[in-house]
Amino acid sequence: MKITRQRHKGFLRYQLQQYGVGYLFILPWAIGFCMLIAIPLGWSLFMSFNKVVPSQGGFKYNFIGLQNFKDAFVKDNVFPIQLIEYVQEMLIMIPVIVIFSLLVSLLLNQSFPGRFLFRAVFFLPVIFATGQVLTELFSQNAGKIPFLDQYDLEPVIRSYVGQEFAKPILSVLNKTIIVLWYSGVQILIYIAGYQTIPKSVYEAIRIDGASPWDSFWKITLPAMVPFISLNALYTIVDLFTFPLNPVLEHVKNNMFKPDTGYGYATALAWIYFAIIFVLLALVLWMFNRSTKRRGDGR
Amino acid sequence: MKAAEIYRNTAAHVNRFIWSRRMQRVKMAALGQHTNDGWIARIMIYFLLSVLAYLYLQPLFYIVSTMFKNLNDLLDPTVKWIPRTIDLENLRTAWLGLNYPEAFMNTITIALACSVIQVFICAMTGYALAKLPFPGKGIVTFLIMLTFLVPPQIIIIPLYVVYSKLGLLNTPLVFIIPAFLGQGIRSALFIIIFRQFFKTQPATLEEAAKLDGASSGRLFFKIMLPLARSACLVVFLFSFIWYWNMYYEPSMFLQNDYLPLSISLNRLDEVLTGLPKGYVDAVLGSNPVSEAPKMAAAFLIIFPPLLVYVFLQRWFVEGIERTGLVE
Repeated sequence: MKITRQRHKGFLRYQLQQYGVGYLFILPWAIGFCMLIAIPLGWSLFMSFNKVVPSQGGFKYNFIGLQNFKDAFVKDNVFPIQLIEYVQEMLIMIPVIVIFSLLVSLLLNQSFPGRFLFRAVFFLPVIFATGQVLTELFSQNAGKIPFLDQYDLEPVIRSYVGQEFAKPILSVLNKTIIVLWYSGVQILIYIAGYQTIPKSVYEAIRIDGASPWDSFWKITLPAMVPFISLNALYTIVDLFTFPLNPVLEHVKNNMFKPDTGYGYATALAWIYFAIIFVLLALVLWMFNRSTKRRGDGR
Repeated sequence: MKAAEIYRNTAAHVNRFIWSRRMQRVKMAALGQHTNDGWIARIMIYFLLSVLAYLYLQPLFYIVSTMFKNLNDLLDPTVKWIPRTIDLENLRTAWLGLNYPEAFMNTITIALACSVIQVFICAMTGYALAKLPFPGKGIVTFLIMLTFLVPPQIIIIPLYVVYSKLGLLNTPLVFIIPAFLGQGIRSALFIIIFRQFFKTQPATLEEAAKLDGASSGRLFFKIMLPLARSACLVVFLFSFIWYWNMYYEPSMFLQNDYLPLSISLNRLDEVLTGLPKGYVDAVLGSNPVSEAPKMAAAFLIIFPPLLVYVFLQRWFVEGIERTGLVE
């Protein structure tokens, strides 16, 4: 009896020690999370319900409830329009980027001489797709796709698609290079994904007489669903912090305006965040459903 | 008579057979046995990839070609890609305008220090999440995912206040300390990469090391971290490049003394013309005179990471394939 109790105690101590090691390993992250994420998040949420006036050595808060959020839609005549336009654009850009990078990664996954050279070129965007260099290129109109002007496609699109839809489509076409340049990481993720499909599956299906076309639809695509969803999520987050994003520009401008201030700016940022969050949840839900229907719990 | 007829028949048969074999061989060569070994497929692949590669490289060409143009070439519409004279003046202007040596040192200090630290901290956190038992792991994983989604714009103002209280503004510490605390640039993504990687490692390794009496710290640093070399390389490279290109955070936190390259590029117009930024944008619009120096500056900025990439590219691609970024 005594021995078992002692043993039990020893086991408990061992387990606690194990837990301790685990906590020790995530300690830096935990401190960082509290200090640099949790507190600022709570603070900014608090700010968004206040009119924040910078005063000497800090801020003065006047609680105004939901006034900031109301102002964003009622008083502000720039924000709602920009928001709707940008979301519209993103809804087109996300599928375009996800599908485009899937196709490119399929091509790059074939074995042919000189593949590494092409791979190197296609990963290049990862290096400078972020940041000021791209913005600078855009301000000089170097981001345009050359065919668009050469063949004068703009009026064609306008007459066929209709004014309402032509605008976002044209702006996507104008940013084709951005679409290309923002698919670097996605291509990488897809290529990593292909390596998880065992070669023997392809051999088996070929012996069964399936054409490559079949094997793409029956093997490759279903196996890629989790990666497609991962890429969709990554793309959303990535576009969200796009350097040319007009909404964030507006938020930033409002921060330093005396009549609107930090409180209003954070309210705008929270509205934006909420929309993106809904979008992300929607994508997650969609992909979860599609994987569940197939009946394997990936 | 009969023999001749039989002969003719057989000859026709053989001919037809040979012909069909030949046709088949041509067909095989053209279409291939699998998708990609016929030459039609191959030409298609090369064609598509070349067009796309051209689109990818075009801005790069634009940067390099504009960089060498002098004013005459810039204003002359007949000069498109190849300038008439190679003008190195732009490069010099950009070098001085960016204050290149100093800005370069600033940027590389931040990028190198932060990405090395980030590799260690993210590996530790990812390892704990993948291998070590402790209660509350699910919550921690969820919170990490959440940090990936929180846009920097929401928390930038409180962070600014926190950093200014701590006196970190305008020093590289403003990025190094968050990196130490696992909150560097896109650290959530890196933690998840490491977690996925360590999950694929067999548990027997740890058991063996533990039986031999290795402590957890030793196990991690001596066995697990060297195993994760490929993941480390991928994380390091991504992190380095993202720190290098980062613009939004430095534009808030580093405004006075400690300017990195990306901020200097943004201020190049002011430096070159001696006018305030808003004025330049409003009055001069896209100023053709500063176009070439700006592109030269852009080239100076992307050149170092490009060099790093060229050297590490081979391992990078392999590493990506091996890290098993698997869900």
